[in-house]
Amino acid sequence: MSLVTRNVIIALVITVVLAGTVAYAVDYLNRARINELSTMEDQISIDTLSLDTQFSLLEAAPCDSAASSTTLVSSLADLGNRLSYAEDQLGTDNAQVVRLKEQYSLLEIRDYLITKQLAEACGTKPVTVLYFYSNAGDCADCDKAGYALSYLRTTYPSLRVYSFDYNLDLGALKTLVGITKIQDTLPAFVIDGKRSYGFTSLTDLEKQFPKGALATSTASLK
Amino acid sequence: MGQEVLTFPFLFLAIFFESFVLVTLLSKPARSARARVPGEATPTVAVIVPCWNEATTVAATCESLLALDYPADKLEIILVDDGSTDATPAAMAPFATHPQVRVVRKENGGKHTALNTGIAMTEAEFIGCLDADSFVDSAALREIVPCFAEPNVAAVTAAMSIHQPKNMLQHMQNAEYTFGITLRHTLASINGLYVTPGPFSFYRRSTINELGGFRHGHQTEDMEMALRLQHAGYEIENAPRARVYTKSPDTVLALIKQRTRWTSCALRNVLGEYRSLVGSRKHGVLGMLILPVSLIAVASTLLLFSVMLFQLGRSAVTALQVRAGIPLSYAYLPHGSFDWFYFPASFYILLGAATLLTSLSLIIIGKRISRTPGNIGLGLISYTFLYGLIVPLWLARATVDVTLGKNRGWRW
Repeated sequence: MSLVTRNVIIALVITVVLAGTVAYAVDYLNRARINELSTMEDQISIDTLSLDTQFSLLEAAPCDSAASSTTLVSSLADLGNRLSYAEDQLGTDNAQVVRLKEQYSLLEIRDYLITKQLAEACGTKPVTVLYFYSNAGDCADCDKAGYALSYLRTTYPSLRVYSFDYNLDLGALKTLVGITKIQDTLPAFVIDGKRSYGFTSLTDLEKQFPKGALATSTASLK
Repeated sequence: MGQEVLTFPFLFLAIFFESFVLVTLLSKPARSARARVPGEATPTVAVIVPCWNEATTVAATCESLLALDYPADKLEIILVDDGSTDATPAAMAPFATHPQVRVVRKENGGKHTALNTGIAMTEAEFIGCLDADSFVDSAALREIVPCFAEPNVAAVTAAMSIHQPKNMLQHMQNAEYTFGITLRHTLASINGLYVTPGPFSFYRRSTINELGGFRHGHQTEDMEMALRLQHAGYEIENAPRARVYTKSPDTVLALIKQRTRWTSCALRNVLGEYRSLVGSRKHGVLGMLILPVSLIAVASTLLLFSVMLFQLGRSAVTALQVRAGIPLSYAYLPHGSFDWFYFPASFYILLGAATLLTSLSLIIIGKRISRTPGNIGLGLISYTFLYGLIVPLWLARATVDVTLGKNRGWRW
């Protein structure tokens, strides 16, 4: 075997090993992402259950547990951002991503219900937004709407935004869609119980919020 | 993933080629070449300096040749003024009386005619060429001569760097040239060179006579000669410590113009008269690997650049659309801290990073092999951030020129 042939073979082996290592590293990182998402969801699930239990235990004075709910909302937002990134990286049809999205949607619905119950019990008026989107390529303005809501959520921490993939095959979500009577004209919003469709600009979106709701001093629970 | 998949074969090829260079660098022939020491033999040597409007640099070029560590009675310098229209004759005049230097002026006919004029004026055993914008290290010739020990070696190339790089573009070229030192040294060890650059390449006179002197070679007479030598079955060696420094373009436009000429002329030579070398088993590694990979590299660089531009453009447009109407303080300022979760580790990015890191390693190796003085730090930085953006511009321009049969001027 000539020197060149030997070197070509060695170089090929190195290339295959390097490409294999890179493929393994990418797969490892993606699996680590999924694991982190699962861990986060488990924690949020426990927090939600804890809040739910606290609520039941302290029926006489449920407002004492209100602070935990606010913390939960920021955790949910963080999880939502990570889930969205994982979806971009792994694809919308990735089985693990879909399962995590279903769990995430359930957590959101649960938090939404607790927030409503707490508001009724404590006499507060938290501003909630149910946001329905699609990433199946049939919603040109969903990215813009999602970004505008992220901005509002960051700017007004008391705002409670719940994002749902309209096409997710989840019984609880379908029930929520049915109850809120949301049509498949996306993006769709339910802001304080009032439905609206489409996104034109941040300014137009802000107009749909109750007067005084978008103020940095607004608190969902007093 | 999408378009990224298209780039995988080319990234794979790039890593394969870099691995091949590294493995060959560690193989015995390359190690032996590095172990070669300057010999005591001092055959007669003539260095020809072809000049066309090089008034500002030719004197320093000649001075550097006169400072070579070589017996004066064995070294002659022939300055050939190829019909310059500037002050080149005046710049050459002071050397006319020097016993080692001969000055000749002729009508403008192109670099190859200037070289042939110089060759006709000497009986030296070895003929060197030095562009009039280049300067040699005093030990360079002592490094070159021993490389001719084997009778089949018809040419020897030197180790080129950029002369006093000043701006980032020149530092980038310096890194590129230093990469070239590694590449030339490695490929020479398996007779894979296809160019004998203008700055301080040497030829065995008997071989030059046999092959009939220099030709126009689509404005790249150095490449044409190298391909002709390879075609005739000769070997081209490299002296990795024969340091020579050359002036470089200092603007992007000048660089693109220079490289467009080099690339288009190289393509014309390889795809024209020397097409039979490509894929030729008879010509070993040059025919079976180096030339095919070089041709594929042109296409792959253009493809990789197009994919990168497309992705960046699409991301930028999407980002602008999504952020429209959102306060600038939120939309365009970073918020949050680094989180590994969002680290964009795709197959495409990691393979690209591996290719770049290997390239940077080869640059550092080139500097060590040639023992070139100076700091390469700025070169590595500018190479990392600029090179990939500029190369596709001249490759695209050269490809269009070759396709349309367009010729451009010589000077950058």
